Parts: sequence; structure tokens; C-alpha cells
Amino acid sequence: MPENTQDKSIKKVCVIGAGTMGAGIAAQIANAGVPVLLLDIVPKDGDNRNAIAEGAVKKMLKADPAPFMGKRPAKLVETGNIEDDLDKVAECDWVVEAIIERLDIKQNLYAKLEEVRKDGTAVSSNTSTIPLEQLTDGRSDAFKRDFLITHFFNPPRYMRLIELVAGPKTDKATLEMVREFVDRKLGKTPVDAEDSPGFIANRIGTFWIQQAVNSAFDMGLTVEEADEIGGRPMGVPKTGIFGLIDLIGIDLMPHLMESLTSTLPEDDWYQKIARKETLIEGMIESGYTGRKGKGGFYTLEKGEGGQRTKMAKDLKSGEYRAAARPGIVQGSAKKDLKALISQKGKVGDYAWAILGPTLSYAASIVPEATATVVGVDDAMKLGYNWKSGPFEMIDKIGVAHLVERLEADDLPVPEILRKADGRSFYRVENGKRQYLGTDGEYHDVERPDGVLLLEDIKLSAEPIIANGSAALWDVGDGVVALEFTGKANALDEQVMKLIQKAIPLVKKDYKALVVYNEGSNFSVGANLGLAMFAMNIAAWSEVEKLVKGGQDAYKALKYAPFPVVSAPAGMTVGGGCEICLNSDAIQAHAETYIGLVETGVGIVPGWGGCGEMLSRWIDNPRHPNGPMPAVSKCFEIISTATVAKSATEAKEYGFLRRDDGVTMNRDRLLYEAKQRALAMADGYEAPEKPEYRLPGPSGKAALELAVESFHRQGKATDHDLTVAGELATILTGGDTDITEVLSEADLLKLERESFMRLVRNPKSQARVEHMLETNKPLRN
Amino acid sequence: MSDVVIAGYVRSPFHPAHRGALAKVRPDDLAANTVKGLIERSGVNAEDIEDLLLGCAFPEGEQGFNLARLVVLLADLPLSIGGMTMNRFCGSSMSAVHYAAGQIACGAGEVFIAAGVESMSRVPMTGFNPMPNPELAKRSAAYVGMGDTAENVARKYELSREAQEAFALTSQQKAGEAVKKGVFKDEIVPVTLPDGTVIDTDGTPRPDTTAEGLAGLKLSFDENGTVTAGTASPLTDGCAAVLVCSADYAAKNGLKVMAKVKSMAISGCAPEIMGIGPVEASKKALKRAGITMDDIDVVELNEAFSSQSLACIGDLGIPEGKINLDGGAIAIGHPLGATGARIVGKAASLLQREGKKHALVTQCIGGGQGIATILEAA
Repeated sequence: MPENTQDKSIKKVCVIGAGTMGAGIAAQIANAGVPVLLLDIVPKDGDNRNAIAEGAVKKMLKADPAPFMGKRPAKLVETGNIEDDLDKVAECDWVVEAIIERLDIKQNLYAKLEEVRKDGTAVSSNTSTIPLEQLTDGRSDAFKRDFLITHFFNPPRYMRLIELVAGPKTDKATLEMVREFVDRKLGKTPVDAEDSPGFIANRIGTFWIQQAVNSAFDMGLTVEEADEIGGRPMGVPKTGIFGLIDLIGIDLMPHLMESLTSTLPEDDWYQKIARKETLIEGMIESGYTGRKGKGGFYTLEKGEGGQRTKMAKDLKSGEYRAAARPGIVQGSAKKDLKALISQKGKVGDYAWAILGPTLSYAASIVPEATATVVGVDDAMKLGYNWKSGPFEMIDKIGVAHLVERLEADDLPVPEILRKADGRSFYRVENGKRQYLGTDGEYHDVERPDGVLLLEDIKLSAEPIIANGSAALWDVGDGVVALEFTGKANALDEQVMKLIQKAIPLVKKDYKALVVYNEGSNFSVGANLGLAMFAMNIAAWSEVEKLVKGGQDAYKALKYAPFPVVSAPAGMTVGGGCEICLNSDAIQAHAETYIGLVETGVGIVPGWGGCGEMLSRWIDNPRHPNGPMPAVSKCFEIISTATVAKSATEAKEYGFLRRDDGVTMNRDRLLYEAKQRALAMADGYEAPEKPEYRLPGPSGKAALELAVESFHRQGKATDHDLTVAGELATILTGGDTDITEVLSEADLLKLERESFMRLVRNPKSQARVEHMLETNKPLRN
Repeated sequence: MSDVVIAGYVRSPFHPAHRGALAKVRPDDLAANTVKGLIERSGVNAEDIEDLLLGCAFPEGEQGFNLARLVVLLADLPLSIGGMTMNRFCGSSMSAVHYAAGQIACGAGEVFIAAGVESMSRVPMTGFNPMPNPELAKRSAAYVGMGDTAENVARKYELSREAQEAFALTSQQKAGEAVKKGVFKDEIVPVTLPDGTVIDTDGTPRPDTTAEGLAGLKLSFDENGTVTAGTASPLTDGCAAVLVCSADYAAKNGLKVMAKVKSMAISGCAPEIMGIGPVEASKKALKRAGITMDDIDVVELNEAFSSQSLACIGDLGIPEGKINLDGGAIAIGHPLGATGARIVGKAASLLQREGKKHALVTQCIGGGQGIATILEAA
């Protein structure tokens, strides 16, 4: 067979099936800036033949969490139906089938696709249950060469896992084309799976949930106890098991069970544990299907005063009662898996009842479901949000200890555990992470081209400089990375000191600096606890020093003689946002939630955020000119503590400039930020200092009129008037006049002055204190 | 000195700002199209027109420069015609009528176009660069939001939310009825969009409005207030124009006279209750015309808000069956600069249609003013 020699890249995609998965996949493709055709069947009634696909898009525009990253991507989705529009598949390079899980209907569709698709167009199924071999039965060899399974996880925008299953005839070029696209464009981490039932994540996940539910019923635990033991201490999402079932839908459980029991061999361990609980069946029948239904194992009950009480289902009586906080997991069991399963009593017993069988089962599916332990671990971490994969957990417990416990309980000890022979599944050798293969040898964990992780660099290197809050790393090719290392990546004096120390070092020995870290949040801003402490003892000069120190450090970075690129991902607010704004460029992960949220705690941006936002809006050619439009826009964004819900949206708000970069795959962020910085390094010149012509008190009067109106509408509180007034003072240039020009330093001074007035205000202090205590803003 | 008459009235379709069919139409183009329509339909000889007076409440951006003169050029009218953009906020184009009448009365011309336009999609209310005098903002309500004035009037006159909604519902029903009967067809000059779509009907009226629907709306301006989007006129894109000339000219040139301008008045009031502006202005105009409210058969009162409309109706003692026969701004819309010309033209055409004698046309004006015109059947 000749290899396909066409241009192997995906420029347009067709998704067939506009259900939750299909529509969500289409949205993520559009989020990547790629046009997508979304088709579904023609509805039985009504005149609009595209009603189903159109309805799905409309629904997604309102959904929360949002499948779309902004309004623009939604425009890239073209809707249609499979009767009138299937021939448009000829324009597409990839067709994703996400229709009902019925073999005959899928086969029927593939027969039609065979007629219309061009050779080389990949066709993949999002099936979670039907073997590839059956799907392609009856199709031509050409079709089989281009066919594979791409199994996404729900919701497709947010879950990073995608399982790829290739058949014996699948063309390597087609597989690689799809792999490249889902990795770079959709930001997913592809894990190769074999054509076996449930693939990897759902096979283990379903077993795990079943085992946890069974054991809770058998051992007479409450759902709160089960979730306290089975949640955080095991590094699985804090919802625990029952909370997780509520989230995914209780009614989905029988379907998952059904699909696995019908496809797994009879002697598979799952067949033995699959069982239905009368109580749960009753809940489904009466509409208690979890968060999307009337309630689940947990529910929120509204009291008379409107306050909500968390209720939990009693597994014995079936009644709801106020949810308890058992507090039964204590001491080392909270963090140490081995300690957890070794405890006497129900904590240890339940933990072992879940983990023993689940880890054993997970170990038993290598290589049947996937070739390596890395595949299993990646699947569970990215598909089920586990902190550690099963084999990483096994390493924590110790292979020998686990085998001992399994044997003692007469539970199966899979071959791979025997082969490990007491060795860990992972080790670090010569600065490289290695895993134990099924051949009993260690192999390097390979990263795809263009993936660069600080986590990997740290295996063999020490930071260039570091202190308690930040570190500077050599990430190769003359680029350094500035990493925040404090709790929640909070910013403090230490960070600013490290920045000042780094600048001469980089100038001397390196070409560029990237601000980057691998926390789940880039930074949630200044360390409020420290600020509160200073406020409490009225150490005003210390507070002012902190503000000035931050301004000086950020501006020193901005005007340093080398390019600075910030690479945010996750929450990037307050001072975290401001360091980005002060950079030469931003390379943001698509899932970056950036904003200036200072007003929520009764203060204003103090590290140059106001001036930088003004510059962005004044320079925006799409925004009207004149002294007020940029000022009004910045005021609107900052006074309402707006946080963009994606990097795409961040561009709409001006936190990112139009030419700033967006990286879809989290693992590629550092590499792409580094490339961006290097591209600017040759002949780099620091930016010119901006000048501002601002409206002064007249502009402030206009903004205050607007805020007063919001106040009357009940949308702004009393103290909001004060805080917004200070913000208005900064953004309109204080006492300036339209005939005068202000410098960056003038604006920084205004920021400092307003900041200092506000921190002295007891109502702002109350906001800070409330945020520290409850993590929620105080509306005073 | 000759009588001043209204001898033509047209308007563009009215569409809600931002989401309506005219959002992408430049206001100067919209005005040129409407003015051309007026000349065609009235049959006036364009060479005879002295001046184009164009009302506009936010004359900046695409409504900037001297919009009136630009519209003369855009519409390919004779170069001899002048152009003056006039601003009295919502009263702008009624002021244009008054100015034309004054010029005719003092012999400074025979034929004028008094028009008004506002694209509230393309130039925001308050303009792009609101820069109030901080001192004045502190000591007076000079810059107060219009919604807040509606709340103030509702409070002062103790107008319940229900009463305001009943008034709004009636306006919607009257407009709905008028649309059904096709009465707006005669006044609307269609707009052709670049893609060839012809817009020849209003996008503003909501004939399906119900009392329940209105009662369910959120408060728009004050969390403890009574005014909602349902009892306020919508932000609107639109244009209106009337032909104002001397009675002699109309007779000589065979123009169809709709009504005679009997009297005119302006008055000021407190900015925070600008909605009651029509009360004093109407009283002055009535006095100047030498008639009383009892002599008035038809009233066009601009419905900026239900609350101010109800307050004015009460204070002036306007009987129910006489007001806004084809619905008011709550249903039809209120493109600020264009409204005055619309209601003057509307009142003139109603006098003809209903075979009545006197009409009162009046509106409130942001900043605290009222304006009124009395028309008499020709």
C-alpha cells in the first residue's frame, strides 16, 4: 500500500453528533481557532432542519463552565444536518463521530462517510464502549487506514486526557496527524490505548467507584465518612467518591456498568464486583440523579432565611440529614498513603478496601489496555483528576508492602507487581525520569518535541538563585525562568528582591527571561496575610515600601535590557496579573484566568496595573479615541474586578495584547514562551516610556456619576463608592488637566497614594480580613 | 407676514439600538435617505429650500462636524441649501421646527427642512467623552441620568409601578394596532442595506407585551424604585423630517398642507425632575395660542418614561382618548434628536386623519427643559 503523501495537517473538522460530547469537542476545536462543522440528525418535527446542532451551540453559549473560550470561537462553528450537509465532509481533514453508542447506527454513518470523504481525511469515533474492530467491519481498506478511536473526556474543554486507539490497519500518518492536532491545537495529552473494553481511564475509574460504593455500603459508612477517606488523603478530587458521582450524574452509573459488564470477559474482576444498590436505583427513578437532578448523595437545602444547608443522604434510611464533617482522618494518614491504609479501624479498613483492589486491578491491565505504566498514570491523572496515578501511588506505598497486603488478603497480585520485585515503578537516573517497563527494565519517560517542563529540569539542576518566595532557573538556550515558589505563588518582598537580583545576572550571562511556574495557579497576587499583619500594627511605612518595592521591581523588569515574557496559566490575578502586564509579551495558556481584582479587597492595583491597562486601551485601534474611552473601559474592567475566563477573553479585555500568544497545551507553555523570548532577543531594545494625556477631575466626575447610578441600582455598595473613587482618581490622572502630559512615574505615584489611603480605611481592612478568613469578598 | 405650515412628514424605520436592523447604518446616511424621501413625497422644489436644520443630541463621531451640511451633500441636494446642526437633546428637532417657523415669520426664508437623527448604536448616549464640570456635578443634578429622573418623578407624583406598566402596555397596544392597520407605511421611508435588504417597518414595537411580562422585569435604575426597561423608551436608531414653509409658498406651489403652526414655547425646570418639562412649556404654548386644554383634540406627548408621561398628563389634565393615538415612544422608540420632528409630523397627520382642529405636541428634555408646539388644522 502506498503511504499517503497528501499534506497531513488538519485545517477544518467535522463533528457528527451534537450531544454533550460532540458539541463540547466542536467547541474546543473552535477554541483552537479551527473552523468546525457540527452536524446532527434532522429533528422529527419543526421546520428548522438544523435545529439540533443549532440548539446545542446556543445551549453551550449559556453553559457554565463554558465550553467556549469566548464569543469569537462560537462563530467558527457552522451547524447543519447529516441529510443535507454530509457532502461538506469533503472539505474536512478530520471527522469526529460522537453519535449514539449503537453499532448499527455508527456503521451506517461510516458507510455514508465513505462515499463523501476525501482519501486521507481521518475519521475517528468518540466511542467509549465499542471495539474498533467492530466499528470498521465492512468498510474498505482505505477507510480502515484513516480510522481510529479518539476518546475525549467530559467536559472536553477542561479534561486534558484523550485516549487514542489505532487499529491494525490504521495508517501511521493519519494517527500522527490526529495526535499532533489534539496535542498542539486542542491542548490534550494523547495516551495510546489498546482496543480493549473501557480503554484505560474508564476501566479503572469504574472499578474504583464501584469498589468504593460497595465498600461504603458493606462497611456501613456514611457518605461523608467515605468521601473524607476516599477523597483528599488519596489525592483524588476533594469531592470524594459520592460527591464525584453526584457531579457526573448518578444515572450514568448503570450505563457504565452495563457497557463494561457486556464487553469485559466473564472472568474479569470487575464482573464480580458489579452490583446495583436498591437505594441508588430508587434515587435514579425518582429523579435524584445528582447535581443536574433534584439532588444526589448531597444536596443543598434552602432555609427560610435563604441560607443554604448542605444535606447528605443516609445510606441506611435513604433520608437526607444535615451533612457532617466527620474529621476522622487524622495525623499522618492525611498525607501518607501507607499510613492511611495501615490505620486500625474504619479509616484504614475503608482506605484499603478501595486502594488494595483498585491498585491491583490497575496493575493488571498493563499491557492489555496500554503498553506502559506511564499510560495508566497519565490516564488517571488527566482523565479523573487524580493527583498521582495508580503506579505512583504504588510507589508511595511501596511495591513490596502492597504485594504483602494483597497476598495476606488473598487478592490477585498481577504479573507486573511480581516483575517489579520490590523495585519502584519510577526512578530518576542521570537527571531523567524513568519507568519500569513490562520487560522488567527501566526506560526514560519521553517528552514529545516542544514539551519543556520545569519539573524535568529540577530533576538534575539547582536554581541559579533562590529564596523563600521565588527561584531563577536556567531553562536552556540562554533563557532563564523566574518561578514563584511561595504558598499559592503569593507575591511578597522576597519575590521583588529576587527580581532585582536577577536582572544584572540575566544581563550578564543570558539572553531573556520568562516568568513561569507549574503551580495550578500562576499567582493569586500579593501575600494578603503579610499585608494584613502590617495593617494591624499600623506599619504604614512598611506597607508603602512593599508597594514601592513592587513597582520598582516590575518596572525594572519592564525596562531591563533583555526581553521578558510572562507565561501565565490558571488564576493570574492582582500582582500576578500586573507582572504579566509589565512584560514585553505574554504567552498564556488557553486556560488562563487573568484579572485585576484588587477592588474586591478594598484596594486598587498598586504595581503598575492601572497605567499598563490604560496603555493597552489607549493603543487599541478598535476603541474610540479621546480622553475618556480608554479611561472608562479600564475603569469598568478594574472597578468590577473582572477576571477573564480564558486567554481568548483576556484579549477582549485587553489584559493580553492582540499579538500576545496563546498555548493550548499546558505542557508546551514554557517551551513556547521561551521561543517567543528568544525571537525578541536579537537587537532587543527596552520599550519607550509611555506618556498619558488624561481628563483629570472632569473625567473623574463622569466616572463617579456612573458609580452613583450603580449604587442606586444596588449594584455597588457604600464602600465601593470610596474604592471606585480612588480608582477613578488614578485612571483620570488625579489633578491633571487635558492640556498636560503625565509620565508613567506620575501614574505610579497616584497608584501609591490611593493605595495608601485605602489600606488605612477600616472598611478596606475589613475586606482584606474577610477574604483571608473566608476566601470570599466582603460586600461592605 | 404669512402663516407657517407643515407640508410634509416622513421618518425612517425605528429600530432598537445595537441589536436592531439599523445598527450598522451611519446616521448621516440614514438622514440623507430620509431627507431625500421627504423631498420626493412632499413634491417640494429642492432649489427653493433655504436651510436644512438637523437635530442631534450627541453630535460627535459619525454625528460630528456639521452633520446638517454633510447630509445636504450626501443627499445630493442643491449646493444652495444651507445646513445647521441643532442640539437641545431630545428637543433638538422640535427646536428645528421652531427655528424654521421663526425664520419664515421674520422673512428670512420660505421653505425649510426640520429634521433630526440619532444613532444610539453608533454614538453612545453621553457621547464618547463625557467630561462634566466637576463643580457643577457636585452642586446640581445637571448631569443626572435620565432613568434617575424618571424615578424621581415617580416618587414625587406617587406613581406606582402598576400604573406605569398599565400606561406602557396601552402604548404597546396602540402601536401594535397602528402597525396592523398599516398606518406607519405612509410615514416610513425604507432603508436599503448594503446587502440589498430593504428595511421598511419598525423593529421597536413589542405588540406581544403583557401585564405579566412587564411585572416580571427587573428594576433598571434604582433597587428601591419602580421604573423598568418596560416603562422606559428604548434606545433607538432613527431619523424624522418635516417640511416647514410659509402658507403662501405652499399654496403657490401646490403643496399639501397638513397643519399650521399656531404657537411654540420653551421652559426650564429642575434637572432632577426633567420629565415634567412639558407641563410649563405646554401651558405657555396654550396661552400664546389663546386656547385652553379643552380646545385640544390631539396630543403627541413624547413618552420618555411612563412615569413622566403620567405626571404630565395629570398636571395638564389631558383626557385619555386624546393622547398618542398610534402609540408613543415606549413602543415606537426614542432616537433622541429625531423625536421632535416625528411627533410634530405625527400630530399634523393625525389632525388630518381624525379631522380635528388643535394638536398639542410636547416633550421633556434632559437637563430640565420642556418644549411644546400647538398645531391647528390647515
